Amino acid sequence: MKIRSMKDLEKIKEEGKRLIYPEKTKITIGMSTCNIATGSENVLKAVEETVKRNNLDVVISKSACMGFCQIEPIMDIIQPGKPRIIYQKLNPLKVSEIIDDLSKGSINTKYAFYKMDIKVKDDSINITSYKDIGFYNKQEKIVLEYCGIIDPESIEEYIATDGYFALHKVLTAASPEQIIENITKSGLRGRGGGGFPAGIKWNTTKRAPGEPKYVVCNADEGDPGAYMDRSLLEGNPHSVLEGMIIGAYAIGSSEGYVYVRTEYPLAVQNINIAISRAKEMGLLGENILGSGFNFDLKVVRGAGAFVCGESTALFASVEGRVGEPRAKYIRSAEKGLWDKPTNLNNVETWANVPLIINRGVKWYTDIGTEGSKGTKIFSLVGKINNTGLVEVSMGATLRQIIYDIGGGIPKGRKFKAVQTGGPSGGCLPEEFLDIPVDFDELTKVGSMMGSGGMIVMDDRTCMVDVAKFFLDFLKDESCGKCVPCREGVVQMHAILTDICNGVGKEEDIEILTDLSLTLKDAALCALGTTAANPVLSTLKHFENEYYEHIRDKKCCAGVCKELVTYAIDSEKCKGCGLCAKDCPQDAITGEKGKAYSLDISKCVKCGVCFEACKFEAVIVK
Amino acid sequence: MSRIGVFICWCGANISYMVDCPKVAKEMYRHPNVIFSTDYRYMCSDPGRDLIMNSIKEYNLDRVVVASCSPRMHEKTFRSFSQAGGVNWYMCEMANIRDQCSWCHSNYDKATQKAIDLVLMAIAKVNKNKPLTKMKAPVTNRAMVVGGGITGIQAAIDLGIAGYETVLVEKTPSIGGKMAMLDKTFPTLDCSACILTPKMVEVAQNENVTMHTYSEIEEVGGYIGNFEVKVRKKARSIDEDECTGCGLCASNCLVKNIAYVDKKRRAIELEPADLEKINNIIKNYTASADNLLAIMQDIQAEYRYIPQDILRYVAERLNIPAAQAYNIATFFSIFSLTPKGENVVNVCLGTACHVKGAPMIMDALERELGIKDGETTKDLKYTLQSVRCLGCCALAPVITVNGVAHGNLKSGDIAGILKQYA
Repeated sequence: MKIRSMKDLEKIKEEGKRLIYPEKTKITIGMSTCNIATGSENVLKAVEETVKRNNLDVVISKSACMGFCQIEPIMDIIQPGKPRIIYQKLNPLKVSEIIDDLSKGSINTKYAFYKMDIKVKDDSINITSYKDIGFYNKQEKIVLEYCGIIDPESIEEYIATDGYFALHKVLTAASPEQIIENITKSGLRGRGGGGFPAGIKWNTTKRAPGEPKYVVCNADEGDPGAYMDRSLLEGNPHSVLEGMIIGAYAIGSSEGYVYVRTEYPLAVQNINIAISRAKEMGLLGENILGSGFNFDLKVVRGAGAFVCGESTALFASVEGRVGEPRAKYIRSAEKGLWDKPTNLNNVETWANVPLIINRGVKWYTDIGTEGSKGTKIFSLVGKINNTGLVEVSMGATLRQIIYDIGGGIPKGRKFKAVQTGGPSGGCLPEEFLDIPVDFDELTKVGSMMGSGGMIVMDDRTCMVDVAKFFLDFLKDESCGKCVPCREGVVQMHAILTDICNGVGKEEDIEILTDLSLTLKDAALCALGTTAANPVLSTLKHFENEYYEHIRDKKCCAGVCKELVTYAIDSEKCKGCGLCAKDCPQDAITGEKGKAYSLDISKCVKCGVCFEACKFEAVIVK
Repeated sequence: MSRIGVFICWCGANISYMVDCPKVAKEMYRHPNVIFSTDYRYMCSDPGRDLIMNSIKEYNLDRVVVASCSPRMHEKTFRSFSQAGGVNWYMCEMANIRDQCSWCHSNYDKATQKAIDLVLMAIAKVNKNKPLTKMKAPVTNRAMVVGGGITGIQAAIDLGIAGYETVLVEKTPSIGGKMAMLDKTFPTLDCSACILTPKMVEVAQNENVTMHTYSEIEEVGGYIGNFEVKVRKKARSIDEDECTGCGLCASNCLVKNIAYVDKKRRAIELEPADLEKINNIIKNYTASADNLLAIMQDIQAEYRYIPQDILRYVAERLNIPAAQAYNIATFFSIFSLTPKGENVVNVCLGTACHVKGAPMIMDALERELGIKDGETTKDLKYTLQSVRCLGCCALAPVITVNGVAHGNLKSGDIAGILKQYA
C-alpha cells in the first residue's frame, strides 16, 4: 500500500509495534557483518532447529549490531510481559540450552548478559539491567538507538520508532527554507570528517544555479578502523533514507545517490531493500506521501579505492571515471556530480536529520558543546577491553570514552596513545586524555575528529610502526594525480621503513618534517594535505621513540622485526610445549615439563610463540 | 678462409674489474677463423694502435674485431688503426663489453661469459663482411616526413629549422595524431594540448615545411638520397585558403568522423556463451558510462577477473574509449586483469587489525599458502590479498574467505580455517 496521510502512517506504526513486541515470544538474532563473523549464522540455524524440535510457537526475527561487537554473536528473547533479555557470546550448544529452558517455561540466566526494561520492568529476573552496564550507561544513544533493536529489513518496525514522521511533518507543514533554517540552527556539522555545517552546505546547493540538483550519501567509509556507517546502513538504513529525502526536499533535488563501499555487501543489500520497501510505501519515488514531491535514489557500489571517500573523487567514480579528485576552487555544492549542484553528506549526518526535525532544534542543541552539537559515534577498537561502536554527546572526554565506556586497557597494560581521524588524524598521548572530544578541540591538539575511528594503543604498539602503517596505506591509496602526494608519501614511507629496519639516520627526522610540511601546503586534496598528520603527531608526541630506533637500534614495543629478538624466559616457562607445536621453523625445542629453548639462528620472528604462550614466558626485546 | 684478429681492451679497470679479459682473449681461439687474439690495457692508445697494426702485418689478418667500449666512442678510431695496418675500413667490427657488460653486471663469472658471447657475435658478423669503398653520390636535399603525429611534427620542425625543404604528409584531415586525443601525458601528467598545440602552429608556420593533410602515400620508389614518392591528396571540396578549421562542416556532416575510425582495429570476437553472459549483465543497466563501474563489478564477480576482450566489448557497448575502461580496471583495487583463485582470502590491514597483529596473520597465510600478498596459487585455488578495513574492527584481526568473515584470529587458527576450503 502507499502511505498518503497521517492516518496511514499511524496505522503502519501500530503494525510495526506489534512486529517489535508481538503477542508471541520473539527470538531475535543479530545478523550484522560482525555478528556473522563470530558465527551468528550457526546460531540462527541452531535456533531454528531447537525451536522445531521443541515444537515452540515463536517468532524468529533478525536484527543488526547493538554496538557491543565483542559480546557477539547475540540473540535476544522477548516474552510477552517480560523484559527483553540479551544473550551473549553464543554458540549452537548454548542456544539449545537457552531454548530448552524457554520451552520449559523458565528463563535461562546463565548465558544472559543484560535485560532491557523497555516495556516491562521485572526485578525478579536475576540479570544485570541494561542501564547498569558500563559500556552502555555512559553513552548517549540517539542515532544508534534502534540499531540492533529493530529488524533493518522491516519498514514497519522503523515507522514504529516514529520513522518517516519527520518526513511527513516537513512535506505537509514546512517550507524548504524553514527546514534549512532549522538544520542551520541545530548546528549539525558533517560527520564524515570535515565538520562543515550541514545547513550552510544545503543552502549553497539550493541557491546554486543549475538543474537538476543531486543529493549524495557518502558511505564510502574508507578510514581503516571506522565502521559506524556500515553499522548504521546494516542496522537502520531507513533513518539514512529519511534524512536524504528530507534533505532532497529542502534543497530541491529529485535525484540522489548512495555510494557504498563494495567491502560492505550486507550494507549494500540492506539499503537496497530499504529503498524498494520505501518505494512500495510511497515514501520514495514519485509523489511522495501524496505531496507531489518526487525523489529517486540509486545505490552505487565503490570498488576499493580509499580516495573515493573524497567528494570530487566520489563524483568522478559515479560518473564512470577514475576516482581522482579535482582542485576545490569550485565547491561541489555549486558544481559537483556532472557539474551540477550537489549536496554530499555522510551516512551519520543524514541519520541525524530526522531526529532534529522530529524532536526539535532545542532538544538537539542541548546536546554537545558550543561549537559541536549533538552526538558522535566512535568505533572504539584496538587495545581496549570493551570494543564496539559507542555514541557519546560531543564534549565527552577521551578518558570517559576509553576508561568508563571502554573499560581500559586489557591485561593491565599501559595506555600509550589513541589514534583518531583515520589516516588524516593523529595519535594523542596520555596527557590529552582529559580534553573534550569535539571537532575543534581535537584539531587544536593536532589530531582530528575524522569519521570516528578511535584506535587505542598500548605499550606493545610501536608509534614509528604506526606512522609507517598509515603511510603504507596512503602510498597504496594515493591516486597519483598530484606530485607532492604521489612522490612525497613514497619517500616518507621509505624513510620510515629505514628507521623501522634500524638503518635510519638522525637527519631523517628533519627530512620527514620537511616533506610533511610540503605535503600540507601543496597537495591537491585532503587525502594529501593531511597525509603527513600521522607522522607529524607521532613526531611531536613520541619523538623519543624515533630516536630510540635511530640511535639505540631498539624498538621498545617489540614490533619492528629487525630490531627485536625473541627468547624464552626459563623461569616463567612451564614447559607446556604450545610454542614449539606452533613454531613454523621448528626453532623451539625442549622436553615437556621443562623450560624450552629457542634457537635464534632458525627464528624468523613471526611472533607465533608469543601469541601461543599463556604464561608470558616468551620475551621480545 | 678469413683471417680474423681479436683485440680485447681492459679500458683500464672499467672492463677488467668485472671481466676476465685474458680469459676472453684465450677463448676466442676456439673459433676456427681466429688467427690471433690478445688483450691489452688501453687499445685506443698509441701502443694499442701499434699492437693492432703490427699484428695485422705479422699474422696477415684480413678482419679485425675490437672488444672494448661503444662504437659511438671508438669505432672510427679502431677502423682507422685497421686501415693503417692494411685492412679495409669496413672489415673492422666492435663488441661493446663495457657499457653492455662490465658496467651493468655484478657477477664476475657471468659477466666474463657474456663478454665471450658478445665477442663471438662480433666475430660472426665480421666474418660475413665484405670490403667496401667510399664514393660520393648526388643527393636531393629535401625531406619527407610521413605522419603528422607529435613525432612527425617535431621532425618536420627540426628539419625546417635546419634549412631543409620538408614535406609533411598526414592521412587524417588534421595533424596532431594520438596526442591530440590525450588529456595528460605520462609520467608527469603535463597537459597534453599545452605541448602539442604550439608545435602544430609552429610546423604550419615554418616556411620550409609544406603540409599535405588528408593525403596518403601511394608509391615509394628510388633509393636513399633520391627517393621518388607519389602522394594522393584526397578530395575535400573545400577552398583551403578560405578554411579556418572551425569544424562546423564536420559537426553537420552526415557521415561524420569517418576519417577517424581506425578500420584496421581487431574486431572483438567473444565466445557465444560469454557474449550471452555479458549481454545479460549489461541488460540490467542503462548502457552508459555511469554504469561502467557496476557492470565491471558484475563481470569481476562472474569471471573472478576481467578478460581483455570482454573489457573492450563493454567499452564498445557503452560507447566509451577502451582506455577509459582499462583505466578503471587498473585504478580500483577490486578489479583484476588476471584470474583470481577459487577462494579469495582477504586479510584486513586496517588500523585496528594492524595494532592487533594483522601482519602476523598475513605472515602465517603467506607461509601456509606459499604465496605472497596479491598472488594466486598456481592451481588457482587461493588468492591472497590485503584489504584496507573490512569494518569489523571490534573483532580484529579479521580475514574474510569468499566474503565470510573470521574474527579474533591468531596465527595458529589459519591452518584450520584454510582446511575448510581445501
